[in-house]
Amino acid sequence: MSIDTLGVFRLTQPAKEERLLPEVAARLTAHRAGCPPYRRILDATGHGPDRDYRSLDALPWLPVRMFKTHALKSIPDEAVFKTLTSSGTTGEPSRIFLDQHAAAAQSRMLSRTMQTVLGPHRLPMLLVDTRAILADRRTFSARGAGVLGMMGFGRDHAWALDADGVPDHTTIEAFIRKNGGQPFLIFGFTFMVWQHLYELARDHGWDLGNGILVHSGGWKKLQDLAVSPAEFRERFTRDTGLTRIHNFYGMVEQIGTVFLEGPDGGGLYCPDFADVIIRDPRTWAVLPPGEPGLIELISTLPTSYPGNVLLTEDLGVIHGVDDGAWPGKRFEVIGRLPRAEARGCSDVYAVPAQGRAAR
Amino acid sequence: MTVRFPAGAIGLLPSADALTVGDPRVVRFLGALSARLLAPSVARAHPELGSLGFFLRRAELARTAETLRKTDQHTVRRPRGLIFHVPPANVDTVFVYSWALSALAGNRNVVRLSRRSAGAADAVLAALNDALADADPVIARTQRMVAYGRDDAVTAELSAACDLRVLWGGDASVTELRRFPLSPLARDLTFPDRSSFAALSATGWLAAGDDARRTAADGYANDVYWFDQAACSSPRALYVTGTPADVKKALESFRRELADAVARRGWTVDAAMAVEKRVRAYGLAADGRATGVRFPSNELAWLRLADAGEPPRGWLGTGVVAVARLDALRDLAPLITPRDQTLSHFGFGAGELRGLVEAVPGRGLDRIVPFGQALSFAPVWDGHDLLEEFTTRTTIRG
Repeated sequence: MSIDTLGVFRLTQPAKEERLLPEVAARLTAHRAGCPPYRRILDATGHGPDRDYRSLDALPWLPVRMFKTHALKSIPDEAVFKTLTSSGTTGEPSRIFLDQHAAAAQSRMLSRTMQTVLGPHRLPMLLVDTRAILADRRTFSARGAGVLGMMGFGRDHAWALDADGVPDHTTIEAFIRKNGGQPFLIFGFTFMVWQHLYELARDHGWDLGNGILVHSGGWKKLQDLAVSPAEFRERFTRDTGLTRIHNFYGMVEQIGTVFLEGPDGGGLYCPDFADVIIRDPRTWAVLPPGEPGLIELISTLPTSYPGNVLLTEDLGVIHGVDDGAWPGKRFEVIGRLPRAEARGCSDVYAVPAQGRAAR
Repeated sequence: MTVRFPAGAIGLLPSADALTVGDPRVVRFLGALSARLLAPSVARAHPELGSLGFFLRRAELARTAETLRKTDQHTVRRPRGLIFHVPPANVDTVFVYSWALSALAGNRNVVRLSRRSAGAADAVLAALNDALADADPVIARTQRMVAYGRDDAVTAELSAACDLRVLWGGDASVTELRRFPLSPLARDLTFPDRSSFAALSATGWLAAGDDARRTAADGYANDVYWFDQAACSSPRALYVTGTPADVKKALESFRRELADAVARRGWTVDAAMAVEKRVRAYGLAADGRATGVRFPSNELAWLRLADAGEPPRGWLGTGVVAVARLDALRDLAPLITPRDQTLSHFGFGAGELRGLVEAVPGRGLDRIVPFGQALSFAPVWDGHDLLEEFTTRTTIRG
């Protein structure tokens, strides 16, 4: 693969760290000046203004849930161009504040990331979801936002599910008949793609060989069905001819930064402006490849809110560094940390813990 | 709706059998329960059940029963009738204390259990049902523990039928349950949200010997680990009194002792709790309420409060010590609000403690206990004498 087609997946790990460290450190300095609550956190945790950082893992991370409990922004109120919120189905939503510059930058970098696998032109797009998800504002959630965000990468959209969430054979078949002979884009949440598209395509003998599948949303439900990421790929390839399959991982708290599965599977790769660190949740030390821990995400993108170094509540493992189809670290998300529950004098009538929404 | 005790019993309401105040049949049953809870296997798995078993010791109960029966010649103390207990969902053992004292007072009881009950609560229910085999059948007829979810019909029926409704478990829960009418003769006994603190005298600590320090640190470790430090009585802030120099010195050694105490118990927190503590501690820092946040390990977090007058009153996670300095214990008095329940202490004299209580304006501070007893239940709770509440008095004039 030539350098050009690699898009934003070009830097080897040493080169990336060399580039990211000063950039992210400079961002933190700017957030310290622009976001007083963030400055107070840094000061209270021993990250004074004169502290010097020698490596990415030394940078102070912020628990991602801080964006649910606090309005953290580094820009004046009047500069806020867009406020993003995560799904509000479980507790408080995250609030992410973007100014015009940050909104443009996140959208541009997301495009460049996706173009790595989609190419420069918009492709005919099959959405493995229902159009109804956009219609009802009350249920407009992370799923709706995710779908809407991806729609811009395609054209001539077709919805694979009807208003009741039932697969619409006719529409899918018509889409494939019309577009199956050239590259086309399939997007959906991992579980829905598996549940609603895979079996149907296999049973109808549809040829998805020219498709590029981009999917996200976590493996929990597929794990329950004992379907591993490797099996997901293998069976799609074997039974539908689909080979270009890219899972991705990202969160609203680092909007625009997407960790994308490489062409060979093999894990999620970090774009050149981002990196991942796995930490031992007991000692908080950095874990080597092969050892699972909490995922810390680093990105240069956030300029309007202090989200450059985030400790997620997702568990992951790094599979390798500079040894895959693309350079840098490749990793896998393997689960989610449960929410700690107080056993104290909580209310009898308290709402029982609900499942977590997909980001 | 499931009757968890007596296991397999049918019907929501207990029979109308009469028990007496301090009924010997109840004393015997509670004694048998105590013995089961104090069994090493149970106490190992659920340390908090050890304290419960200790609380229900037969000799202790017999003494309490005796006191209850002893009244002057013009007074007869009598059971109140049917008591409906709604304990908090997540404090596994409160329902037993509330129920046991009420049963000892001779009442018929229905305890509502959370459907989420697990762990210690299940162990207690097993012990209760096991102890029933040797008990007088009147116990099974007069006592009920039922698990049900959000079922308004059941709550309404029990509320209408009872003579006293005991509501534990927080402001929202109390408000929600008060929607259900009681009979005109009945009333509520409520235990809403409370918050608690600890106080350490720097001079008292520095003067204490190794053993006393060790015991105090063990006690404080209990207080910040039992019930995940989320109970109303769990200390949310630690006030250290003395000169800045003494406080600094005392804290240095207290930190070490406390870390050792937690390590001695082998207590740890899981990754989810470690993250939870950081989210909440960082939140206090972001709000400017904590100027120092240190995590020497996941087990203990140390926060320096910006303002002694603005302590955290909400949950911060398990093993969090939020410290503020005061010149003297009496300086705590103006900071106390009606919501504040327990002060656990080390290194103060009895006079200082009494002086503090007398200096608190209005309600506030219902319990003053040594380190290590913050979570120990007592028959006087939130200022209410439960045995008084669970009985009525008939006065007789000849």
